[in-house]
Amino acid sequence: MKTFNNIKELVTTLNREEKLLSEMFTKRKSLNYKKNYALELVDFDEERIEKLLQFSVIRENGGFLEIDDTFLEFFEQILDVNEEINLSYINENIKSIKENINYYLEENNENRKYGYLKFIKKTFRKIGIVTLKSVVDLRRNIENTFKNESNYKIKQLKLENLDEKRMIVKDLINQTLSLITNEEITFFKTATDEELNRIIKELKYSLSECTHNLIEIEKQIIDYLNQIKHQGKFIEKLRKLKYLKDQFLILSETDIRQVLSNKNQVIFEKRSTEPLNLSIDFLRENENAFEIIKRVAKRNSDKLNYKPLIAESISDEFLEDSIEEEVMINFDEVRNRFVATSDNLFNFIMTYDFLKEVSFDERVTIFCQMASQYENEFNFEPEFEVNNGIEYALVYPK
Amino acid sequence: MITKYTSDIFEILRRGQFICSNSPDDDIQTLYKVLEDEDTFENLYEYFYNINYILEQGDEYFYFSRPNEKNIDIERKIEKAFSWIDILDFLKTYDSAFTVGFRFTVSEIHSQLKNNADLKTKLENLKKIGSEKKNYSDRIKKIIEKLEKDNYITLENEITETYKVLTSLNYLIDLINTINIPEEIANEIPE
Repeated sequence: MKTFNNIKELVTTLNREEKLLSEMFTKRKSLNYKKNYALELVDFDEERIEKLLQFSVIRENGGFLEIDDTFLEFFEQILDVNEEINLSYINENIKSIKENINYYLEENNENRKYGYLKFIKKTFRKIGIVTLKSVVDLRRNIENTFKNESNYKIKQLKLENLDEKRMIVKDLINQTLSLITNEEITFFKTATDEELNRIIKELKYSLSECTHNLIEIEKQIIDYLNQIKHQGKFIEKLRKLKYLKDQFLILSETDIRQVLSNKNQVIFEKRSTEPLNLSIDFLRENENAFEIIKRVAKRNSDKLNYKPLIAESISDEFLEDSIEEEVMINFDEVRNRFVATSDNLFNFIMTYDFLKEVSFDERVTIFCQMASQYENEFNFEPEFEVNNGIEYALVYPK
Repeated sequence: MITKYTSDIFEILRRGQFICSNSPDDDIQTLYKVLEDEDTFENLYEYFYNINYILEQGDEYFYFSRPNEKNIDIERKIEKAFSWIDILDFLKTYDSAFTVGFRFTVSEIHSQLKNNADLKTKLENLKKIGSEKKNYSDRIKKIIEKLEKDNYITLENEITETYKVLTSLNYLIDLINTINIPEEIANEIPE
């Protein structure tokens, strides 16, 4: 493994492979970056990749390439996109400040004293920046987690972990502040350095800003956690009810019937239409009424006019004249003829020529009809005669 | 006449609808503000009570209920609650963040069907609603329309066809939370 000899070498190397590195950096989450893809970005010059591998800027792992952790972390930190919030820095810094303050106080050599002081100043400045950065990171991560994490359980766990981190940051801020104000009073009294004072002031300022931010973050995290809890609980409940419903158990196993019977909301009612009658006065007096009536009438005229059902036309057969002749017996004529004779009615009818065939039975019927129709004009004798098994009265004209 | 909005309020609430604080409709917003005033609320409460309606205030919404149960049969209520459970379960499967203030479109749900087999199964099992429709998109539309009719969601943007969940959903959530599942039954339900 080679190391870069100076900054220039490092920067030029990175600059030359800028295309590949930035591509790999944007895809750092997908884990699999194939070497073949990388080759395309370096104009198929395998030596260039080889060089990066030698300097451990990237690593090779079975056909896949990835940026080395040291560089990845460096890029992420500089570009402000790191997701891991590393708080060990602050902790270590506080420790090293304490150590250096001790050295400073014990050291007699001015030059060396100055060296320690310089280190202390640098570290204080760093603490300010790192703390502020981690607070910003914390906030971004919380929001990302809440909005993008789809798994409820993981979301909750992640947020709880972030909440723990928030506590640590808060603790570190307190440690730093107590270091400045309470613990090392001697140092701050003796080291009367203009720049140190300014740095301390800036640090205090940025730390108080951090504290404010942390309070807000705490609020946010509590709110998010509550929302998750509430939602998660609700969904669980909903799923259970749905399950019971699908198993047809809901009515027997839960109190849904009772709950619902206590609910008298209008939303459960049928939406009934109100068949209100029109006001006669309105129809009579309002100008709009006539317009409305016309409109409704017009709408109705659009509807199909139902024609009455028409029967089929009568066939011509039925309309043709057809003549049917029937010989009718004129009783008046028969009577006139009979009155002119002296025969009895029965004999007269039996022998009468009706101009058509008339059977014995029909002649008997005619006899009966004549006898009853002209009863007043005939004489009925009290004697009877028998003909063809029929007993008949003797009837003579008057 | 207690305020000039009394009849507007009555017309909406009488149909079993809600007056929600987050309605995109400006008129409803106005009515909500009118009802929010405590004195007006009390006056209107009295007023409506006389005609057998109880004006009630929920979490960011107003609605009517009846002083005593009359012509609502329990079967009908259960039927209604069942369909709400079905629909809400479907939409929570689509997005667990489906709650007050959530925005969605029918096409978004439709495109989720491809990636979410659970969602698809649930849609297919929702036989009672929209089963006469053949394609998924129409069936989802039917489900959404049903929820819209009950006034839990509303069309916020006609051009993009974006729906918004109203505060009245809190009513439904409360209702579901009120139903008690005995612990020994709850333990038997698989995860």
